[in-house]
Amino acid sequence: MNVAAVESWIEAPLRRYVDDARARIAVLLHPSGQVMAQAGFTRDVDVMAACALAAAAHATAGELGRRLDGRAFRGLHYAGAVHQLFLSALEIPRGTFVCLTVFDDTSSLGLVRLYFDELRRDLIAASPAAAAPRPAPALAADFETELNRNLAALFSGPRGEAVIS
Amino acid sequence: MRSRLRGAVERLSRQRGVRASLIVSENDGLVVDSSLRFGEGEDSERVAALAASIYRKARLSADAAHLGAVSFLQLDADRGRLCAVGRDDLVLVVVAEPSANVGLIRVELFKALETLA
Repeated sequence: MNVAAVESWIEAPLRRYVDDARARIAVLLHPSGQVMAQAGFTRDVDVMAACALAAAAHATAGELGRRLDGRAFRGLHYAGAVHQLFLSALEIPRGTFVCLTVFDDTSSLGLVRLYFDELRRDLIAASPAAAAPRPAPALAADFETELNRNLAALFSGPRGEAVIS
Repeated sequence: MRSRLRGAVERLSRQRGVRASLIVSENDGLVVDSSLRFGEGEDSERVAALAASIYRKARLSADAAHLGAVSFLQLDADRGRLCAVGRDDLVLVVVAEPSANVGLIRVELFKALETLA
């Protein structure tokens, strides 16, 4: 499966996670909806939609958790007729990320959760902790520029231009 | 139902050489109930997810090969063995020492399976 990451240290842990958990799609994003890495998508418009919806679902579940349980819910699982999704936050030294995982009956929620914990450990180990943390892009004035830059990095063609399909 | 499940895993765990017994959802790979002699909850979640995956693969493989339903699954490894039986979406899993009496475990697993019917 094709795996692409805005920052190279994310790529190997995400590739291993997708392989081990037998995920169909995995997207690592900033809680604001900005994509950091993806596996399984072939079109940037799909990634944009998935990130926007995942960020919204994560924010909604988080707020529901805070109201019902006093703190944000850790994960969200939805089982469809064929596909299932698992959405959960990842706390790593570089900040908080959200991971959207889509899987089918070749995997299971138990396996995805199991390897999700390994993804967290792998990302913590791979994270360049010495690097200065990036400024939070949420609601930043240059959000769109950042978004386009990240999408171009994920879907760039041979000359570096974004592939729009 | 819950007490029946609890009774089943506790009876299995009382067998000599049994380190853990679990009831696992085959489709989700999640623990329904467990009785452990090792580790904590995280270990049971790991065993449940992997055991359910193995059992499911065995069931699908047997089906694809026209061998019929899987009645008993046994995995022998250097430091232990895993035995599993299933019914509907539930899989009964036992993790045992290499020296454990598999015949006895098998009998107890089938007895436990009857209680889940």
